[in-house]
Amino acid sequence: MSTTDWLTPLQHILNCQVRFITFSLSDWKGLVQQADTSWAHDDNRDKVTEGNRAANNERTWIVVRVTGNSVEALEIEGELKQAEAELITWTLQWNQSQQQSVKPGALSESESFAMKLSEWIQQQLESEEPSYSIPDHLTAGGKLFAEMIPFLLVTEYTNGKQASYLELEKLLRSFLAEDILLIPLKNQEWLIWGPVSLLKEADSEFMDDEDEETVEDSLSSICLGLHEMLASEWIGECHLAVAHPVSPAKGIVETTVLLRETINLGRKFHVGTSIHLPWMLQLERLLNAIPEVQRSRYLEHALKRTELFVEAEMLATLETFFSLDCNVSETAKKLYIHRNTLLYRLDKLKQETGLDVRQFRDAVLVKIILLLYKVTKRN
Amino acid sequence: MAGVRLEGIYKKYPGSDKASVTDVNLDIKDKEFLVLVGPSGCGKSTTLRMIAGLEEISEGKLYIGDRVVNDVAPKDRDIAMVFQSYALYPHMNVYQNMAFGLKLRKFKKADIDKRVREAAKILDIEHLLDRKPKALSGGQRQRVALGRAIVREPQVFLMDEPLSNLDAKLRGQMRAEISKLTKRLETTTIYVTHDQIEAMTMGDRIVVMKDGFIQQTASPEELYNHPVNIFVAGFIGAPSMNFITGTLSDQGGVVKFKTTGVDVVVPEGRATALRSKGYVGKEVILGIRPEDLHEEPVFLEASPNTIVNAHVEVAENLGHEMYLYLNGIGADTVIARVDGRSTLRDGSSVKLALDMNKVHLFDKESELNIFEN
Repeated sequence: MSTTDWLTPLQHILNCQVRFITFSLSDWKGLVQQADTSWAHDDNRDKVTEGNRAANNERTWIVVRVTGNSVEALEIEGELKQAEAELITWTLQWNQSQQQSVKPGALSESESFAMKLSEWIQQQLESEEPSYSIPDHLTAGGKLFAEMIPFLLVTEYTNGKQASYLELEKLLRSFLAEDILLIPLKNQEWLIWGPVSLLKEADSEFMDDEDEETVEDSLSSICLGLHEMLASEWIGECHLAVAHPVSPAKGIVETTVLLRETINLGRKFHVGTSIHLPWMLQLERLLNAIPEVQRSRYLEHALKRTELFVEAEMLATLETFFSLDCNVSETAKKLYIHRNTLLYRLDKLKQETGLDVRQFRDAVLVKIILLLYKVTKRN
Repeated sequence: MAGVRLEGIYKKYPGSDKASVTDVNLDIKDKEFLVLVGPSGCGKSTTLRMIAGLEEISEGKLYIGDRVVNDVAPKDRDIAMVFQSYALYPHMNVYQNMAFGLKLRKFKKADIDKRVREAAKILDIEHLLDRKPKALSGGQRQRVALGRAIVREPQVFLMDEPLSNLDAKLRGQMRAEISKLTKRLETTTIYVTHDQIEAMTMGDRIVVMKDGFIQQTASPEELYNHPVNIFVAGFIGAPSMNFITGTLSDQGGVVKFKTTGVDVVVPEGRATALRSKGYVGKEVILGIRPEDLHEEPVFLEASPNTIVNAHVEVAENLGHEMYLYLNGIGADTVIARVDGRSTLRDGSSVKLALDMNKVHLFDKESELNIFEN
């Protein structure tokens, strides 16, 4: 288990903030002197080793790693009982020994590099003042300055097997290109960077200029193809998001945040979909930012008029109608109903709610109501 | 090649009160073309996705051949999928799209080339091998998706509404091609559709589903002629079966079915069964297919005790046949299918004989077919 995977459940169990923090050796010693209590192996306070602890009435620190002049420690809000502190120290050391039992030689160069990059990204995501530019030693000799296409892959169902980095990397190299970058973030979450040349490769010399796709269309079809391939050739169903090309060296942290948000919004608002595109979730992003109390209040008011919105048949009808740009004929065809049946349903909605989805303003309101209903139901 | 067996399969999503798929038991034979059909939300796609390995099975066992595959990844189940939302690999040409799965499995180049070209020939896409997906029409893309599945030579094909994005004419053509193809390849195929015509024309056997439950599993003929309940009876057949609520009564030893505008005699063999099951004196639902209402004089003469009078609200002439939308038989509109040469028009009055040997009677509460249960 990565250190980050270990941290999240610990926060949940202790119900307080837990984070990693780095001190210089001298700062750590100063902290220990000022602390209300401290504990060291062999009671030798001059020697800083893993497992040493210091605490005041606000925080507790446990040394995780000592490298040269820096001391990496786990900072826990609040006071811990001795037994709690010892248990945490024990699990931390056990987890680290598990990680170290995978000898450095067993990790390939690319996986080793990816793990370092992953740790750095996690640290920035947890930091209050994140750095958005990758440090020089992590830019792969400058390769990460070039624009690449970012994907975020989240798997759910692993058939009881852990997904292997090497296996996935090999598969992606076969499918996308040799020069991809695969970064494992959390358990079952992977950041994939593919070459921008994929956008050009998706074009065809048989197409007319007027048939040229937008960048979003190209990214969408690459994402769909990648998802199809992963579902059938790798581990099964997964969620996949893609964003516009960006230079990883400058935008890796923001892109990770964007892609994570995209998948979260997609899973919240569009249950059952597996491909999530940030440019298709603008309204969802806006609604998600509204405080829950206000969302619920608005929805309660809207649904007071009628529960018709949320009847299964009407929901399906409206979803299809909106997805087909409010085209009555296409909607009827898609739903396998007569055009008149569809019109009857829309008239019924108008009669009971006063909202005619064939009018733009009313369509927008109903769309918002449906999205809010979905997210409230999920909560 | 292999059969597929589902034993007590359930699917329940976390947080949901009821199961999406309940107690599905199916034994699909090797080389069989089985169709799962039903309305949206009936669980047919969920069932197929569980067979594919794209959905976890909540309960029950799934066998492909003799192997339990509940925990086997999709890529290791020796299946090939062609789904409605299939996506071709846009950065690869048609040849590369079809070859990719084999390349991953380390097939030799010569073998890959042979399989791809054979499949392309079967699907008539040899001239498209150098093209990218963007340059293909909907029907051509569909063929490439099929080609990607065929080259795998899997034990089982899984298809989920693969034709739903095609126009009606192309859908008809592709339906026939898929049927021919799967017979030629002798591969077990499980096909999902909401379209009962597709189901009836393609399937060796059809599984009708509703609300996560299997309603009936049978051959097309069996489903059409012996539906076990009102849902199956109404779902299979176009135009749909007509349903008329009425009462069975015994008049001087003769069992009759009566309702507004209807007073017809039930044939003796069926009457005996109805008496023994205690339905005489009760309300039941009569189901009659449009083609079992006859206006021909020879039928009217032969069945004087089954004649009804009706008013033609609308007469739709399709050329070879005519659909009559009728009032006066029970409470709702009844549709009759008659010969295209009929002289009946909107507003006509008509006498029709009901073929009482072909009608179905359903229990009003349970909706089960009285003669099939």
